[in-house]
Amino acid sequence: MPDEAVRIESLTKVYPGGIRALEDVSLTVRTGEFLVVLGLSGSGKSTLLRCVNRLIDPTAGRIWIFGHEITAAEGSQLRTSRAQIGMIFQQFNLVRRHSVLLNVLSGSLGRAPFFRSLVTRFPEEEAERARACLERVDLGGRGASRADALSGGQQQRVAIARALMQQPSLILADEPVASLDPALRHSVMRHIEALNRDEGMTVICTLHDIDLIQRYATRMVALRDGMLVYEGGPDEFDGETFKEIYGQDAVPTSTLTT
Amino acid sequence: MTDPTQNAATPVPGWRRNLTRLQAIGIDIVLWVLALLMTEFLVIAFSGRRGPTGLLVTPEEVLLLLHYGVMAVAAVMLAMAWHLARGILGAPPGGALVYGLPEEEQDVPWSQTFRGWFVALLIQLTLFTGWLITEVQLVTFLTKFSKASDIIRGLLHPSGEILQQGLVLLVQTIFLAFMATAFAIPFAFVLSFLAARNLTRRNRLTRLAYTLVRAGMNFTRAVEPLVWALIFISWVGIGPFAGVLALWVHSVAALVKLYSEQVENIDPGPVEAITATGASAIQVLRYGVVPQVIPPFLSFTIYRWDINVRMSTIIGFVGGGGIGYILKPRVDLGQWGEVGTLVLLIAITVWVMDILSAKIRERIV
Ligand SMILES: Nc1ncnc2c1ncn2[C@@H]1O[C@H](COP(=O)(O)OP(=O)(O)OP(=O)(O)O)[C@@H](O)[C@H]1O
Ligand SMILES: [Mg+2]
Repeated sequence: MPDEAVRIESLTKVYPGGIRALEDVSLTVRTGEFLVVLGLSGSGKSTLLRCVNRLIDPTAGRIWIFGHEITAAEGSQLRTSRAQIGMIFQQFNLVRRHSVLLNVLSGSLGRAPFFRSLVTRFPEEEAERARACLERVDLGGRGASRADALSGGQQQRVAIARALMQQPSLILADEPVASLDPALRHSVMRHIEALNRDEGMTVICTLHDIDLIQRYATRMVALRDGMLVYEGGPDEFDGETFKEIYGQDAVPTSTLTT
Repeated sequence: MTDPTQNAATPVPGWRRNLTRLQAIGIDIVLWVLALLMTEFLVIAFSGRRGPTGLLVTPEEVLLLLHYGVMAVAAVMLAMAWHLARGILGAPPGGALVYGLPEEEQDVPWSQTFRGWFVALLIQLTLFTGWLITEVQLVTFLTKFSKASDIIRGLLHPSGEILQQGLVLLVQTIFLAFMATAFAIPFAFVLSFLAARNLTRRNRLTRLAYTLVRAGMNFTRAVEPLVWALIFISWVGIGPFAGVLALWVHSVAALVKLYSEQVENIDPGPVEAITATGASAIQVLRYGVVPQVIPPFLSFTIYRWDINVRMSTIIGFVGGGGIGYILKPRVDLGQWGEVGTLVLLIAITVWVMDILSAKIRERIV
């Protein structure tokens, strides 16, 4: 595994309509890091994460994932790169009418036999693996339930299992706990942490709560108006840096969300 | 980050300003032409020189076409004059429509502006002209009801003789509608993804497909099923199959519109999530889009079957099979008792279909 998980060079994204969401962002993420991206609402965090797996096409700049330039990839090359990158969303983004197991299995679409995948027939070893992934997020018995029958915290764990199913080397998590009750946040974050610590997956995660950041991050960067304004380790991070990033009126609380 | 409004403040290029000005004047020219034509029409109609609908031009009257030219020139001049004199007369309607009303005219009641009177006059003229052109005869309508009472009596006393034949053809009607709907589903299903903007905007080829499918379906839908029936009757001959084909074509176009609107309304979240797993476009469609649209698709399809049952009656009138086929000659011959039986059969079917389809759709969504 190369030492550099992600290298971003001069990344700029201008949305149609002229909104400059990212402005010349350069950043390197080392393998095994748990990088937290912070910044105010609208500062470009989601845009940055979505550029990394090309859900959004950048306007300018280049991105390498484990040495392969994803910004130059097309077609099956791009899909292979994407399959290496698991993504977790604020709104879980499960297929609500599919079963929990099928949702997890869809994490293997990148390598699944094409025609069989269209009729939702997956190889038995994949089904085996999907059940194991569900075990990992403590949802072993729920494979047959419809996804929308689960609670928010459970749905997000299914989403984590789906990402895990990809057997990725990199996880992108965009505010993975922002739609959850504060009491549930650690239970979800613990699973993401486990991927990072036990499986050695690199994690890039956007978070807002200062205690979550201090608890899980190994390094953080901050965006303001699309520009990289801060980079540092968790030890240097305190109330003062927080105010610098979020503005002087901001109060660091554990429940601050957007 | 740049404020989006800054971009909006970039100066409007000169040609664009001239274009809107032309647009405003263009609208006024059209309005003046309409006003002049309708005035002329009324004058002609009341002077009795021609019948009320006698505006058609005969060969001898071709010379008269000249006066349309004169009228157009007059309209152009009037519109231009108003635009130049808008300081005195107030904004003309075209200008008001294209630029919006100028500040000082915004709260003035219509009766105090030249524009208000002009528009009021146009509406009056349209009403009068419409009255003459559609040959409205209020007196006849109110006094000659007795002539229709035979029909009403017949409808109220349905004859039993035709019941059996009617029932057989009613079954044919329902199946005709069913086959047309069933054939339409796979075509509409595939086309609807190409007709959805959110799925097609990322790539040039699919954008082209979007434009083509949209245009094609809009055209197909604009042609009445009755016309399609006539086309297919000359193609495959009189009978229910022609009706199936006619309703099929129309249903595909109608369903593509309804389906694609649903596709455009899906939650983009699952689509993103499936794309992020490295799935191919078809897999994204299968896992991210299709599960979200199945319930509304089913609902619209049942609704369409319901509509097709109604339409197939009319299709039968021109020879497209179904119950309309035996209804038409009985209407022509004035056998109102039998017509009554058939109309009753159709009414009951439509009513039952309506209730059933509402119930099923309630269940699904
Ligand atoms: N699809 C889009 N089209 C146009 N503008 C967009 C789009 N998505 C985001 N933006 C704009 O880009 C800027 C950055 O958005 P982004 O979603 O990356 O911010 P964020 O930091 O994730 O905010 P939040 O914390 O609210 O999620 C915002 O000004 C937003 O309005
Ligand atoms: Mg965001």
